[in-house]
Amino acid sequence: MTDNKETVFICRCEEVTREEVDQAIRDGATTIAGVKKRTHAGMGLCQGRTCRKLISGMLAGRRPPEEIVPPTFRPPVRTVTISEIAQGDEE
Amino acid sequence: MTRTADVIVIGGGVVGTSIAYQLTRKGRKVILAEKKDLASGASGSCDTSIFLQSKNAGIHLKLALTSAELFKGLKEELGHDIEHHVKGGMILIETDDEMRIMQDFVARQRQTGLKVDIIDRKEASRMQRGLAEHLVGATHSPQDGDVNPIELTLGFAKAARRLGAEILLETEVTGCIVKAGRVEGVETSRGSIHAPVVVNAAGAWAPLLGKMAGLDLPIKPRRGQIMITEPVAPYIAKQILSASYIVAKYNAEKLKESKSRAVQLGVGLSLSQTQKGNIFIGGTREFVGYDVGNTHEAIGAVLKNAIRFVPGLGEIHIIRTMGGLRPYTPDGLPLVGFVNGLEGYFLAAGHEGDGIALSPVTGKIVADLIVDGKTFLDVSALAPDRFSL
Repeated sequence: MTDNKETVFICRCEEVTREEVDQAIRDGATTIAGVKKRTHAGMGLCQGRTCRKLISGMLAGRRPPEEIVPPTFRPPVRTVTISEIAQGDEE
Repeated sequence: MTRTADVIVIGGGVVGTSIAYQLTRKGRKVILAEKKDLASGASGSCDTSIFLQSKNAGIHLKLALTSAELFKGLKEELGHDIEHHVKGGMILIETDDEMRIMQDFVARQRQTGLKVDIIDRKEASRMQRGLAEHLVGATHSPQDGDVNPIELTLGFAKAARRLGAEILLETEVTGCIVKAGRVEGVETSRGSIHAPVVVNAAGAWAPLLGKMAGLDLPIKPRRGQIMITEPVAPYIAKQILSASYIVAKYNAEKLKESKSRAVQLGVGLSLSQTQKGNIFIGGTREFVGYDVGNTHEAIGAVLKNAIRFVPGLGEIHIIRTMGGLRPYTPDGLPLVGFVNGLEGYFLAAGHEGDGIALSPVTGKIVADLIVDGKTFLDVSALAPDRFSL
C-alpha cells in the first residue's frame, strides 16, 4: 500500500481524499464542520462516523485538540425512511 | 494589532461575501470579519432553490430577476463550480381557495416581467411525476433554478480574496467605533479595524451588531428546519413549493392565530434535488430566538406534509436534518442602504429565505451605493430608514 495523498480516502461515502482535506485546512477550515463545507466529507450516508475521527486527527496538527470545535450532531442517528417517521408520529 | 481598510464587511455568509467580492472588483480595500466560518449561519443551512416565483411582484421580484441574470455567468466569473442550474419551478396548489390566491399572485408577477403560468394537474404531472391525486393544479415558471449555497459563498469569498480582500475567520466583532455621529471602524476579538464604512451583513445576527452601534433593527431570527435524503436517481425534476408555503411566508401574523400545530410551525413544502441526488425537504418558519436545533415535532410535520404532495417520497431515507436562522423583517424586504444619522454605517441584512437568490444583486447594489452613491435599480423601498431604528 502506498501513502499517496490523492488515493487515500478519508471520507468513504463522499470519496474525499486526504489531499482534499489538507487543501480545505489550507483554505482556512479549522473545524470538522469547516472541512465538511469545503469537501463534503461527512455529508454522506454514514454522516461522518469514520471520517470525523480522521479529520479531527488532521486538524489536531494545526491547533490543540481541546480547541477543535466538535461537529453538530443532528437527527436521525441512523438513516430512516420518510414514511417510518411520518407514521411514527401517528401512534 | 490595528488594521485599516476602505470598507469593513461584517458577516461571512452569502450576502457578506458577495458584497466583499463586488467592492474589491471596484478597487476597494475590504476586510471581512466573520465570527465563525464562511457559510456558518443561514447560508450553510438552507435549501438550494433560486425561486423567482416565491417573490412578491414589484421590487422584490425585480431584484430576483436581476439576480437570475447575474447567476448565469457567475461560475466562470468566480472560477468556482457553484452547481447552478435553471430547471424551472412549480408551486403546487391543493384547494380552490389557494388557486384564487395564486391566480392573483401570478397575474401581478407577470406584470413585473416573470414568465409564469397556471397549469392543471395533468400538465403538472407531465412535468413532475408522482404528484398526489388531490392537487388541483400548479404554477410553473421556466426561470426558477438552483445553486449550491455553500459553494456559492465559498466562491464569492475565493474571488474576493483573489482580488485582494482580507477575510478574517473566527474574528468576532465586539464593538462599533463611533465618533461624533461617524463610524470609524470596529473592535474585534483580534484587535480593532479602522475604516470609514462598515457594512452590517450579519443576517439573523444583524440586530445584535446593530445594538453595538446604538441601532434597534427590526430583524428577527426565524428558524427553518430542513430534512435531507440519501442520494437517489433523478426524481424531483423541478424546484417545488406549495401554495401554503407562500401563505406562510407572507402572513406571519395569520400563522399565530391558527389552532393547527403544523400551521403554527409555518410548515410549507419545499422540494429540490441536488446535483448529487440528495433531496432537500422543507421546511418550517418559527420564531424561537437563536435556537438552531431540530425538533421531533417539526421533522414529523414537515415529512408528513411532503408525502401528502409526493407520496413516493415515503420510500426514501432521511440521512440528515438542518436548522438555520433566516433574518425576518416585518415587510418581507431586506434592509439595504446607509443609515441616516450614523454616517458610514451601511445595512445589508434581513433577506429572510431569499438571501441565496438575492445575493448576487445585493452585492452589486451595495458596492454601487458605497462607491458611486447610486445604483441601476430604484431601491428606495429597501432603505433602512423605512423603519425607526
